[in-house]
Order: sequence, then structure tokens, then C-alpha cells
Amino acid sequence: MKVLVAVKRVVDYNVKVRAKADGSDVDLNNVKMAINPFCEIAVEEAVRLKEAGVATEVVAVSIGDKSCQEQIRTALALGADRGIQVETEGSVEPLVVAKLLKGVVEKEQPQLVILGKQSIDGDNNQTGQMLGALTGMAQGTFASEVAVDGDKVNVTREIDGGLQTVGLNLPAIVTTDLRLNEPRYASLPNIMKAKKKPLDVFTPADLGVEVTSHLTTLKVEPPAERQAGIKVESVADLVDKLKNEAKVI
Amino acid sequence: MNFTFSEEQLLFQSNIADYLQKEVTPEAVRATWETDTGRDEARWQQMADLGLTAMLVPEAYGGLGLKEIDFILLAYECGRVALPEPLVSTAMVATPLLASVAQDHPQCAEVLQQIATGEALVAIGHTASDFVCDAHTADFLLLPQGDEIHLLPRNAVHYTAQPSVDPSRRLFTVDWQASPQTRLAGGKAGVKLLAATLNRGALGVAAQLLGLAQTMVDMTVQYTAERKQFGRAIGSNQALKHHMANCAVSIEFALPVLHRAAYTVTQQACLADYPVSHAKVSASQAALLAAKNGIQSHGAMGYTWECDLHIFMKRAWALDKSWGHNGFHKNRLHQWLLNPAALIGADKTFGLQQAS
Repeated sequence: MKVLVAVKRVVDYNVKVRAKADGSDVDLNNVKMAINPFCEIAVEEAVRLKEAGVATEVVAVSIGDKSCQEQIRTALALGADRGIQVETEGSVEPLVVAKLLKGVVEKEQPQLVILGKQSIDGDNNQTGQMLGALTGMAQGTFASEVAVDGDKVNVTREIDGGLQTVGLNLPAIVTTDLRLNEPRYASLPNIMKAKKKPLDVFTPADLGVEVTSHLTTLKVEPPAERQAGIKVESVADLVDKLKNEAKVI
Repeated sequence: MNFTFSEEQLLFQSNIADYLQKEVTPEAVRATWETDTGRDEARWQQMADLGLTAMLVPEAYGGLGLKEIDFILLAYECGRVALPEPLVSTAMVATPLLASVAQDHPQCAEVLQQIATGEALVAIGHTASDFVCDAHTADFLLLPQGDEIHLLPRNAVHYTAQPSVDPSRRLFTVDWQASPQTRLAGGKAGVKLLAATLNRGALGVAAQLLGLAQTMVDMTVQYTAERKQFGRAIGSNQALKHHMANCAVSIEFALPVLHRAAYTVTQQACLADYPVSHAKVSASQAALLAAKNGIQSHGAMGYTWECDLHIFMKRAWALDKSWGHNGFHKNRLHQWLLNPAALIGADKTFGLQQAS
């Protein structure tokens, strides 16, 4: 069984991001970049399936400029067998990402596609679902457990108030939640092996996709700073402020 | 010559930095102090599983066959987190020594295989240091006697604990008997091996010192950006900004010196005395300045046990004196500078010509 895993290059989660002075975007100058943590969980799950003898090949795919090859190499160091870069310029919105991934799915014919449920930069939580709609494949989102059983996969989903297990016919799409697994660290021998693993580069045209933008970022600004609190003299003052200033009662 | 680290080396540094930052937090270091040995065996095995102990072990003995230049970024990251375990001394200092005599001494080949898998930890003594670090947890000790080097199992050595300013360092004086069975090298070969060992030890210490310095600067910048007096962050005052700017300059100027020293140790060890001493002196200056300015900028807080700064500061003080004190390295530096055949100048930075 071939598994396709999507990985996205994002700002490292430890970095405190800042908006550009002109408010046009987030400032990415001299900022450490990394694999999106949910995508890292996806890679780990795919590698575990391979180690369990369920998957025969794990292919990592990323969309972006040449710098995203760094994240593909990281995925290869974590255990993926092969890498694919779809070369694009600038930011690409979820619908285009889903269309490009559909192109890769048609080329590679994987039985299972694993994606992070969302990326920590855009927080859109759309790509997996859009890919499901475009390909017509079954989808199990927010997975906290994945068990392949013959030509089916059982996905335990994290939903409001509990867990839901769904059985999907393969080929299927799974998006990972935080508790699915704890990703490993890449070992040095695997980093060295990763360099020798194949990495193919496609353009959107190769996949028959036209990159068009439907979204325009109007403004990026940091969250408002929290105001210092005050002490009130009495309960009556508190009620008055909640009623007239905060307007919550 | 355009010297840069390869993508592979930088990726490795980035991965290991992530691992160390997550696993070796100040809280984890403090927890390690409370254990009997002061060492975390699970962490050591984890590092071995990542391939860190096997880096400089030759491929013939189950290692990765890499060199000091590949390890230097990792040694820097060990300093960044003040790693208590003796990874640098085992993997970067002891391993190449064992590898250089392994063909004639089968017991060294066995020890190398055990280092690669994380089963063996090797402590190393040298005439430049009065004490042996980690003699209590080492499976084997490499000890000098005159121009000879001996390899002994721990049960053949009587060791006595000595106090250290740094709670993470476990120092010991050792008492042992040399024998023909324990002797690995002697005479000219022994002198050469001891000299190379000293350079690797000083190089590893220099890398850790710069890592410590950078962490102290980062901690101080964060503290001074958050601590407010008279309605504004104390870090906005020029008096404190200049302190940190001086530290940043010292680190930036010392890093290429360190990289050049690692390159020379790897490529032509016989010419490494001067670059290594230069790196050790520069790194010590940067780390001691970061410690001093860090304490000052933290105010009285900086000197307390509760403030994490002291973990890094005390390690810097301790490492400054190890593998040759400042006077020793400055002396080597001066001897080289006064040598008419010294390869000095921008075009000689990575020059590998043999000095006449």
C-alpha cells in the first residue's frame, strides 16, 4: 500500500511571529522555518504504518518554492521513501493546494493520503476536506487513531465531547490531530540516508492545475495587547462595570 | 576558499537542537542534579539511538565515520542547553583517540563498537586537567602517564569525588596502576596522541562555551525585555543594550574562529595548536563576558539559585579552566604569532600548507 503524506513549510512553532510594519503579511525575515507540527504527525503515522508492514512506500509531498525541499528532506529523514515538490511561488491558498494534491494523487495513485488537520500559520483547516471533495475519496478528519484493516481503514476522530470511529473504504484521506502519535526525532544515519533518496519536482502545469488566487490579504496585525486590570471597591462597582463598561450582563 | 557547512550538517544541527531544547530543559538539568550519579541514562541511550555517540566512530566499528568538523555544531548545541552528560568528551575527544590505535589493540575496537551503540561511556584524563570528569559512570577510562596512554576498565581505577562550582560536573581524582596490558601508546606516538587529544578537548570546550554564551545572552535579552522599571522595559536603556551588544559581537567574532579550528583539526591536525588555542581563548572571553553582563543585567536576581542563568554561568566558569587554562592557550597563541613562518592572514585562514 502506497501512502502519500503532505508536508507544509511553516514558521517554527517556538517562534513568536511579528507582523510586517506595513501590515501586509507576517515578517518571515530571519525566522526559523520547520515542518508544520500536524504534518510531522502525519509523516510519523505513515512511517509507523510502513514499519508495521502495512504500507510499502511512503511519499512526502510539499508545495512551495525551493526552500520547501528542506521540509521534504526532513520527512525523508524521518522515514519517508521518496519526495515530491510541486514548485509554486508566493503563498498558495487551500483550494489550490487541494487541486495540486489531487494532481499528485492521480499521478501516484496512493491508497492512503495523510495530511495534518491544519497548518499553524493559516489555521484554515480546509485542505484535507477539499481534497476529499475533489477526489471523491472517503475522509476521516481529526484522527487520534488510525487502523488499517484489509481494504478498509478505521479512523478514530476527535469530536466535540468525545471520540467517533468511522470505517472508510480505501483509498481514503486522513487528517491528523495532535494526539495521534508523538513524532520521533530524525537520527543522524537517517539524515545521511535522506540525501540519497529521490526527490521529484513538478510544476502546477505538469499536474494540469492553474494557480489562481481567490483570496486577498487585506491586513495583518498583532492581537490587541491585554489591558492591565483594576481593583474595584465593592461588589456594586463590579456589577456596574460588568453592566455598563464590559456590557456582559 | 568559501567555507560553509553543508545542508546535511545544518539539518543535523537543527534536528539535534530541537531534540536538546525539548529534552534538556533547565528543569531537566536540575532534576539530573538530584540523582545519585548526576546523569540520565535514558537520555544517554536516546542520544545514542539518534546516532550522536557513533558520529566519530569509524564505519568499520559500527559508526558513521564522520569527523570533528561534523561534530562541532553539535558540541555548540550541547553548550546551548548545558547538557550534563559527557557526550562531547566521549564522542569527540575519546573516540578518535581509540580509533587511532584500534588496529593494534582489539580491546579498543570493542570499546568503539560499544560507544557507537551507547553501551559504553569513556572518561578521559589529560595532563592539562587535574581531574577526570565522569569517572564514576564511565565504563572505561583513558588515562595518561608521562608520554603513555592507558585504557582501563572502571573497576581497575580508584576514584575520589572532588567538588565543582558547576553542580552538573562530576569531578574525580583517580588512582590507578599502569601495566603493559593497559598501555595503548607511548614514546613519540603517545606524545602525538596526547597533543591531538588536548586539541580536540579544547575545541569541544570552545564550542560549548559559545553555546553557553548565546544562551546567556538570549536569557538576558528576554529578561530585560520583560522586566519593567519606571514604566518601561529595562532593556530599552542603552546601558543594558550596550552590555548585550558587546556580548553578541564577542560571540559573532568567536564563531568563525571556532569553525576554522574545527576545520584544521579535521584536515591537518599537526597545524591545529594555534587555531584551537585561538578558538578556546575567544570562546572563553565571549562566555565569561556573557556571564558577567548577564548577572549585571539580571540585577540581584541573576545570582540566585532560582534563576536558571546560574546553570549556564557556572558551566562557563568551569569549562573556562578545563582542557588548558587561559594562560596556557594564550601562550601557545603568542608563540605562533611570533613564529616567522606562521600562516597568518586572510588568505591563510584555511591554508593547509605545511609551516616550515
